Amino acid sequence: MSDLAEVSNIANAADVADIASRVKRLIVDNLHLEGLRPEMIDEQAPLFGEGLGLDSVDALELVVAVEKEFGIKIKSNEIGRDVFSSVASLARFIAGRV
Amino acid sequence: MQPGEPVQAAPAPAPADIAAARERHGSGARRVVVTGVGAVSGFGWGVEALWQGLRAGATAIRPFTRFDAAGHRTRLAAEVPAAHAGRLAGHPGEPATAAAGRRAFSLADRFALAAAGEALAAAGLGEALRGLPECAAGVFFGSSTGGMWESEEFLAGMFAGRRGSLRAVASQQVNGPGDAVARSLGVTGPVQTVSSACASGALAIAAALESLRRGEVEVALAGGSDSLCQLTYAGFNSLRSVDEAPCRPFRAGRAGMSIGEGAAVLVLEPLERALARGAVPLAELAGAGSACDAFHMTAPEPEGAGAAAAIAAALDDAGLAPRAIDFVNAHATGTPLNDAAEWRALLAVFGERSRRLPVTATKAAVGHLLGCSGAIEALVTVLSLARGELHPVPAMPADADPIDDACPAALVTGRPLALPAARAALSTSLAFGGSNAALVFTRWTGASP
Amino acid sequence: MVVTALGTAGAHGCGRASLERALAAGAPPPAIEVDRGAGYHRPGGARRALLTPVAALAPWLPAAEARRMGPPSRLAVAAARMALGEAGIDPAWLAGPGTAVVVSTAFGPCSFSEALLRQVLRDGPEAASPYLFTESVANAPAAQIAIACGARGANVTLCQREAGPLLAMARGAAEVAAGRAERALVGAVDEMSPLLHAVLDRFGALTRGRRGRRGRPEPARGEYGCGGEVGRPFDRRRDGVMAADGATVLLLESAAAAARHGRAPLARVCGWGSAFDPSAPPTGWGGGGEVLGRALRRLLLRCGAAPQASGGPGASDPHGASGAPGAAGAIDRIVSGASGSRAGDRLEARVLRAAWGPAALPPVLAPKGVTGEYGGGFLAAAVLAAAVAGVAAAPTAGFGGPDPGLGISPHDGSPLPPPRALLASSLAAGGAAAWVILGSP
Repeated sequence: MSDLAEVSNIANAADVADIASRVKRLIVDNLHLEGLRPEMIDEQAPLFGEGLGLDSVDALELVVAVEKEFGIKIKSNEIGRDVFSSVASLARFIAGRV
Repeated sequence: MQPGEPVQAAPAPAPADIAAARERHGSGARRVVVTGVGAVSGFGWGVEALWQGLRAGATAIRPFTRFDAAGHRTRLAAEVPAAHAGRLAGHPGEPATAAAGRRAFSLADRFALAAAGEALAAAGLGEALRGLPECAAGVFFGSSTGGMWESEEFLAGMFAGRRGSLRAVASQQVNGPGDAVARSLGVTGPVQTVSSACASGALAIAAALESLRRGEVEVALAGGSDSLCQLTYAGFNSLRSVDEAPCRPFRAGRAGMSIGEGAAVLVLEPLERALARGAVPLAELAGAGSACDAFHMTAPEPEGAGAAAAIAAALDDAGLAPRAIDFVNAHATGTPLNDAAEWRALLAVFGERSRRLPVTATKAAVGHLLGCSGAIEALVTVLSLARGELHPVPAMPADADPIDDACPAALVTGRPLALPAARAALSTSLAFGGSNAALVFTRWTGASP
Repeated sequence: MVVTALGTAGAHGCGRASLERALAAGAPPPAIEVDRGAGYHRPGGARRALLTPVAALAPWLPAAEARRMGPPSRLAVAAARMALGEAGIDPAWLAGPGTAVVVSTAFGPCSFSEALLRQVLRDGPEAASPYLFTESVANAPAAQIAIACGARGANVTLCQREAGPLLAMARGAAEVAAGRAERALVGAVDEMSPLLHAVLDRFGALTRGRRGRRGRPEPARGEYGCGGEVGRPFDRRRDGVMAADGATVLLLESAAAAARHGRAPLARVCGWGSAFDPSAPPTGWGGGGEVLGRALRRLLLRCGAAPQASGGPGASDPHGASGAPGAAGAIDRIVSGASGSRAGDRLEARVLRAAWGPAALPPVLAPKGVTGEYGGGFLAAAVLAAAVAGVAAAPTAGFGGPDPGLGISPHDGSPLPPPRALLASSLAAGGAAAWVILGSP
């Protein structure tokens, strides 16, 4: 968790919020979850297992969408539980990359 | 010991299980043996190129040239070296007529034809196949993409509004390579292609075994063929399943598979028939089994229950107990999930002996041949029994990447492991989508039926 | 060995009743215009196909489960659930190592493969979608059926074009007959994307209807009102197949197991066999009618169903080893895979004539005028012909007049006694042939 804390700071909070809302839009547009709207996604809630109940293939689909949307490259060993544990953690990770 | 000589294994225990297996088979079902093998792989065209590459601990996984690697997440594959012009000439698989020669053969077709031709020649059959009664020979093949490589250019043209020649897409079908082999050899018996991802080759061999046992055919060519294509390469990379470095099955730092291409064909016959015509079997195909995880589309069931069930079914089919198995040619793709699940399966079947049961991982050398993998690994298993030797995985500095504690398979490293008295071996396939297949081979000892 | 459940989805709708009605009446569902928006189609080519109304699958596909499935997986899982639902079988009962799954597909998941290739070529390989790749493999439908039903027995996908469905049935029957599985879900599935349709048309495989000057389609003359594009099995004017998508899934089990659970069989599976014509080009049919005919005749002999010139009971071969035990008795109905293909139907006629020799052929049903080609409708029609009197005496949709060179006129719909033993026959482009002998339940 400390790595992610290092890359996020108060000055970037607005950027992170904007990224988070774009990530929610990506989830809705790419993962075909019926009836889901961005405002229904809790940024702190788990993405995998409980919460949205996504699995490994969903994570990878989201990775492709995030790479394209934000113009970044995510390495295979970065696709893990920490970065993808919630929309908020993912947004912080992306903020550190753009 | 000289460098390059195999390491000696402990002597094998008494063959009580083999006798029991013979008794079971003697009750009516025909025993089936392998009388010839042929292969095309990243080590080259032919079985000897494959075998020598494997036993030397070499790797065929290197930067590929078939298409532009730029833009792909990884750069490596075990690509078949370019064939010389006229590669097909002289093989029994050569197109019989000029018209046939004008037809488009995909690379997967060419691999298959070469492997089939080599296998038939090695079996001492060749032209004799045409002399068999009608429907006495069958072809049982596995492939995942057939001639997709050639079709990709045609399809790119379609997307861009260009009308290309239909020749390219005529060989696109997954059943293309198997049909091409049947067509070129004048086969009139059963011909079918299995496309169950990584289990295709093993399931094709299982189908051949069934057909021979039932007396449906007298000779079966069983195997598989797949060639590198952009779709598959990008596809497995999209799942982050492909290692940037050559795959390292069972090792702690393993990070994914390596993709390969090629073909493998086994000539299978009833034992009595083989002996009657003076053929010397390479090994006996004693049993086959398959079972499905029914768990997830890409991830294996973590306890390996489906794989264990397939192995148990194969052992049961062969009439052998787990203790009869002397080594395993594992599926061993090198992905974190596969090797862990496969280890759990081996543990479930073989118990504590798993830690000492010699295991080799052919994919570490020639990559994952997808629809052909089960066939080429069965072929390597046959040769391992016939030649009394298990190939090592490609060499790695001793401390570079230890075997993972979570899947501590007794992987053969360094030099080949001599197993001159090995009696029975297991070859496993754990497929994408959850279909698992296992084959049991026994060494041919020359005893009469 | 018996068939105790049947689920089928196609242009006719979902479930066997709609297909039964269409078959019994000899009336195909309307073929609809294939989307030409991508520009794949050649001018003057085939325009129509028999396509399953996708929204109709919804009752069998909860959204949460189906969200990542490609079209073939959706069709296949829905058909599997239809089969179980109509037979009153609790899906939970099927779960376990005793249930095998064998599925055939001619072309696999073509729309997802196309979309994936487009992504790779247009946006670069790193844009490849894991969703698309996972569902672009030929074995995706079989894997999804296994997950949906908890079927942990053998899981096999066969790709052998038009012969695939009967080969899948044979493979599933073999698993049960050999005791490796207690039951098998066997089926056939295909999707018919615009790209596949356009490519088949470019190979000249599809019916285009009557063409007037400059290749424009002429108005239909009192038939089906669809520009004259009709699959016409064995007909003198046949000009290609009507492409179709869809899926059929059957449940095969031993007669004893069916009786134990009080399930009435739809048909008995009495035997099966296959052969190959090496003179066939990769995408067409060859001239091997005699060779295939002899292979079929040997199969009929082995199953005690050989034609007799006198019309008496079939002879049997005591040394035969193929197919399930149980003499079928002489074949008194044929369900032919003839589809309107000029070369395919010609070969089919030759094979049947060669197998029957001097004896008269029994009535020949040719349901592909109703079901179209691909999509599993033929597999369902073969079983329904054994089970349903109306289907067993159905008129042949698309057939208007015999081709004098073929020596076969398919059935005209006049009343017939129910069949005792039925031969289902299919010949694949590329050379494979597959046959299954079904008995009345």
